[in-house]
Amino acid sequence: MNVPRALTAAVHGVYGLRWLVLPPATAIAMFALLVGAVIAAPREIVEGEVQRLMYIHVPSALMTYLAFGITFVSSLIVLWKRDMRWDAAARASATVGVIFTAITLATGAIWGKPIWGVYWAWDARLTTTLVLFLIFSAYLLARAVAGPNDEQVARYAAVFAVIGALDIPLIHMSVSWWRTLHPQPIVFRPLDGPALPDEMLLVLMIGFGAIFLLVLWMTSLLTDAERLAQRTEALRARLDREDRG
Amino acid sequence: MDNLQFLFAGFAVFWAALLVYLLILQGRVHSLEREIGRLEERLVESTEAADRGNEATAAGASERVAGRTVEPSAPTT
Repeated sequence: MNVPRALTAAVHGVYGLRWLVLPPATAIAMFALLVGAVIAAPREIVEGEVQRLMYIHVPSALMTYLAFGITFVSSLIVLWKRDMRWDAAARASATVGVIFTAITLATGAIWGKPIWGVYWAWDARLTTTLVLFLIFSAYLLARAVAGPNDEQVARYAAVFAVIGALDIPLIHMSVSWWRTLHPQPIVFRPLDGPALPDEMLLVLMIGFGAIFLLVLWMTSLLTDAERLAQRTEALRARLDREDRG
Repeated sequence: MDNLQFLFAGFAVFWAALLVYLLILQGRVHSLEREIGRLEERLVESTEAADRGNEATAAGASERVAGRTVEPSAPTT
């Protein structure tokens, strides 16, 4: 049995089911997240109601890594294979990544006001996240002014995205490497395990699942739109050539 | 500590960001619609031009054919 071919066929099979699976699964998971975050999760004694923002802030931050991770891998494939289909995936995932970085920054700032007394502090975690937002906003701006099939711009943008994605490990490790105002990790602690009560941890896990599905759905929708734009542009270029010929 | 207004603000930001995404997607779909419309118009124009060209060629050919059918009968008159 040819394993890579079977694996590719399996991936294609799963990808083909995306419009059947992702909308209902995302709807159910998002509903569960909202009910869990607003009603089911216990009220935190010190921080009060605003602590419930953690159920969208933390999953959004983590799924930002996922979205930009897709951009990183797709950009490497653009550079390696020069296949513009992967440029569509890179653009789409970068757009979704920028949206979720904005959600992360905004929900963090709103949580910071009652807890820290300020919306913003030039803390290492916050600053590196803002830098990531600015890097990929610039990437999207550069891609927006070029045509969808401009291979040279796609390659320059891919290099920019690969370098920009190097900020992600910096963001993740910032709370360990520097003294920061941002809370230390409470879920992914390899040595000690999660530092949350079970009810809160359950809602947070539902949040990870829900935002994961949402990011996949949003990215695949935009990727298809970008692919359509590429095909339309290619068709127009072909008609132009035929008209001139 | 009761910070409900901040909780609502946080959730509002989340839904607003999803709305921004929908607007981006809508813009993409609209630009695709316009581009496909333009391509359809060009396709119709080029098909019509090709049809006119074919008709002209066919008319020219039938005239030449008609001319040839007349030629053999000329010496008999």
